[in-house]
Amino acid sequence: MNKKFLGLVPLLIFVLLCVFLYQGLFGNPRELQTGRLGHTMPAFELPDLMDERKRWTDQDLLGEVYLLNVWGTWCPTCIAELGYLTELREQGVRIIGLYYEQAYDPDFGDQFDIDYLRADVQQMLSRAGDPYQFNILDLERTLALDLGVSGAPETFLVDKNGKIILHHTGDINPRVWRSKFAPAIQELQP
Amino acid sequence: MKKLMLALALLAGLWSLSAHAVEDKYQFKNAEREQTFKELVQELRCPKCQNQNIADSDAVVAKDLRDRVLDMVQEGKSKQEVIDFMIDRYGYFVHYQPPVTPATIVLWVMPVVILVLGFGFIVFRQKKAARKQSWSPEDEQKLAELIKQSQRKERTS
Repeated sequence: MNKKFLGLVPLLIFVLLCVFLYQGLFGNPRELQTGRLGHTMPAFELPDLMDERKRWTDQDLLGEVYLLNVWGTWCPTCIAELGYLTELREQGVRIIGLYYEQAYDPDFGDQFDIDYLRADVQQMLSRAGDPYQFNILDLERTLALDLGVSGAPETFLVDKNGKIILHHTGDINPRVWRSKFAPAIQELQP
Repeated sequence: MKKLMLALALLAGLWSLSAHAVEDKYQFKNAEREQTFKELVQELRCPKCQNQNIADSDAVVAKDLRDRVLDMVQEGKSKQEVIDFMIDRYGYFVHYQPPVTPATIVLWVMPVVILVLGFGFIVFRQKKAARKQSWSPEDEQKLAELIKQSQRKERTS
C-alpha cells in the first residue's frame, strides 16, 4: 500500500502542476492594478475639455453614482466602446470622460494644439456617439497617475460619496457590463 | 563561446550607454539622489509594458512615472516614500520586489520546504541503506534453491 502510494506521488505532483499552469492560461495580468480600489477619488482641479474657463473638482462629481471613463481619440478601443457607452447613457448611466491626451508632454508643450484637439473630439463624438455628461481634460495626466491609470480605455465606477468601487482596464462591452458593472451598481442601490 | 563573450560585451556596452544617457538628461543635487533615482527607475515596473521597468519602457505612463519619480527625488523624498506612493496608485504590482503578504508568503516558504523535504529524503534513504542486513544459512539455502529453479526453467524453455 505504502509503495503504491509513493509511486503515485510524481503523478500527483504532475497533476497539481497542470492545474496550476492551466489556471495561469486564463489569468489576466492587467487585472492586478487595483491600487486605488476602495479609496475616495483623489482631489483635483482640472479644466473642462471644451472650455478651459470651466473648472471641475472632485467635489463637483459627488452626489450620484458615475462612471469615469478614461479615453482619447488616439485610442481605437476607446472609439469602439463609444457606441455601447452611449447606449448606457440612454439607459440613465452617468458617464464622465477623463480625456487622456498622449501627445502632450510638458517638455514639448508648444507642439500641442488644443483647438485641433477639440475639433477632433467633437467630430469623433458626433460620429461614434457621445456618452459623456462632460469631459475633464487631464493634460499633464496627473489625475490619471493619481488614479493608477496605465493607459486607455480604463473605467472607474465611483459611488455617490466619491468612493472608487471598480477599476476596469480595457473596453466596456455588454459582457463586461453584465458580469462586472451591473452587479456592482445593483449593490450600490439602497 | 567567443560569440557569447562578444554578445555579453556588447550588452555591457549598451547598458553603460543607457546609464550614461540618464546622467546627461537629469541633473541632481548630489550623488545620493542620483543613485536613488537610478535604483527606483530600475525597480519600478511599467504598468503598461509589464515586462519592462520604467527606465526601459517607452510607454507614456512609464515616462509619466519617471518624471514623477524624478520630481519626488529632487524634492528629497526617500526611496521608500516614492515606492509607497507608487504602490498606493498602481498596486504592489508596480514594484519588482513583492512584499511579504499572505498571498506571497509561498515565495519565501516554498524554497525552504523543498530544501527540507529534499534533504530529509536523502537522509531517510541513507539511513535505510545503512541499516544492518541479516543473512543466515537458511537464507543461503533458499537462495541456492531459487537459483537452481530458475536455471531449470531456462533449460526447459
